[in-house]
Amino acid sequence: MSVRVQREAAEIREEWLGWALSTLPADRTAAEAAISGLYHLIGLDPPRFHWVSSPVTALTTVPPGLRPRPSETIEQVAEWPLPRRLSALMSALSVELDRRFGVAYHPMDRLAHHEIRAPIRLSVINALLTPLRAAHDSPLHMRFAWYDVPCVSKVAHYDALRRLTGLPFTPEQTRQFELWATLARTCGWWWPREDVCVVSERPVAMQTEASVDERAVRLHHPDGPALRYADGWDVHAWHGTQVPPWVITDPTAWRITQEANVEVRRCAIERIGWASYIDQACLRPVASAPDPGNPDSQLHLYDMRKETRVLLAVNGSLERDGRRRRYGLTVPGFLNDPIAAAGWTYGLSAEQYSLLLRRT
Amino acid sequence: MTVTLGSLSEQTGLAVLDHLERSVSIPVVDGLQAQGDLIVIPYSVIASSVRLWPTAVWTSVPSEGVELLRGAAGGNPHTLVAEPGTCRWTTTMTDADGLAIGAFDASAVVYLLHPEHGATGCAPGTYVVRRQREREGQRARLVAD
Repeated sequence: MSVRVQREAAEIREEWLGWALSTLPADRTAAEAAISGLYHLIGLDPPRFHWVSSPVTALTTVPPGLRPRPSETIEQVAEWPLPRRLSALMSALSVELDRRFGVAYHPMDRLAHHEIRAPIRLSVINALLTPLRAAHDSPLHMRFAWYDVPCVSKVAHYDALRRLTGLPFTPEQTRQFELWATLARTCGWWWPREDVCVVSERPVAMQTEASVDERAVRLHHPDGPALRYADGWDVHAWHGTQVPPWVITDPTAWRITQEANVEVRRCAIERIGWASYIDQACLRPVASAPDPGNPDSQLHLYDMRKETRVLLAVNGSLERDGRRRRYGLTVPGFLNDPIAAAGWTYGLSAEQYSLLLRRT
Repeated sequence: MTVTLGSLSEQTGLAVLDHLERSVSIPVVDGLQAQGDLIVIPYSVIASSVRLWPTAVWTSVPSEGVELLRGAAGGNPHTLVAEPGTCRWTTTMTDADGLAIGAFDASAVVYLLHPEHGATGCAPGTYVVRRQREREGQRARLVAD
């Protein structure tokens, strides 16, 4: 694939990712017109619209005048009649477009999947869907199938195929596609019932960073909520892990000690830094030793909690400010020797690790 | 020709952070060395716990290098860099500790390059590359720096 095509694909991804992560107010007129257009395509009149300020409000409140049957709770949205019919509508369009572009054999389709569809879908799951699932502590497992239907990733994929190949859609395909594309650009999630459609505003603030697959993003904000809606629902996240607010706003050694979730503990410790945490928590030193291969640096082993110790080590290379970063690694509690502990992190014995000649 | 961080960065097209010294020649080591969360271990040191398959598929390391491992948040790969034709690389191997990401076999000096950690040289030989782990609850998690 030429560099030019790769670059174009990346541009298309950024464009649609921008819409997926948008914090602009919804364009209610355009969104309502597009939803009405989709209702029309399945033979229904336009619904009444009920706008909510966040998806959590949609999940926890009922639109005025509506008395949903017990089987029609919002967790079961994927089972409602309309989401099924709209999903079938989108599937039929996908099948047609796949055929038009001969996708199974088209290298451009693989490119669009890899560079555009998959990373956008992952970003949407990371930034919007996972927090929504976490917010909804219902005993029922929330069904997510519906949320894939209007997902920006699909729209972006077919938009990319159209632009990269120069092959246009038919007028009918364009008409339906533009409805989905408009929705991807103008509002948050929506929940369609026959008489009323609940539509959510988008978040008012979102902070992300590149994900492990650098084409995608995940939530991260070291100083405040990573995701915030106008009604006050917010989500704190540390490098993609959703954490309670205290991890970001007021991490203390005491709170870390009280925290049962090991992943949350790790995030909170990283937030204050391992060296500060060890000081604040007054961890008991077990032993120290020079770090092989890392001149003038010591390895320090501390007791952390039951069956867990922490090895405080020094980076082999300088930071921008000329200092060396100290970092902690948790190790099994049976290790008494810092060299053995450092070796364990790489699956090596103390003897093997002591052969280390250089650390950068 | 002296190999420096600057010349390696130029050969591979990989950027390194500008506070690292670019013009000093890179030390070459013939034993164990660590680069952040990655460690390079001579095969002889670790032969008892890893096995290279006789049927392993070896790939020749091209001049732009092979990305061994990418750090957290998408950035900062560890890249293996060699003169073309001097190094081959495989991921088909077994490791009792499950930490090996592959092995390489070098007939000339090869380099590990990282935007933050700089570069380090490995003398000719066969090496296993492992990731780092830490304890999390009753399990181990892989470190990604």
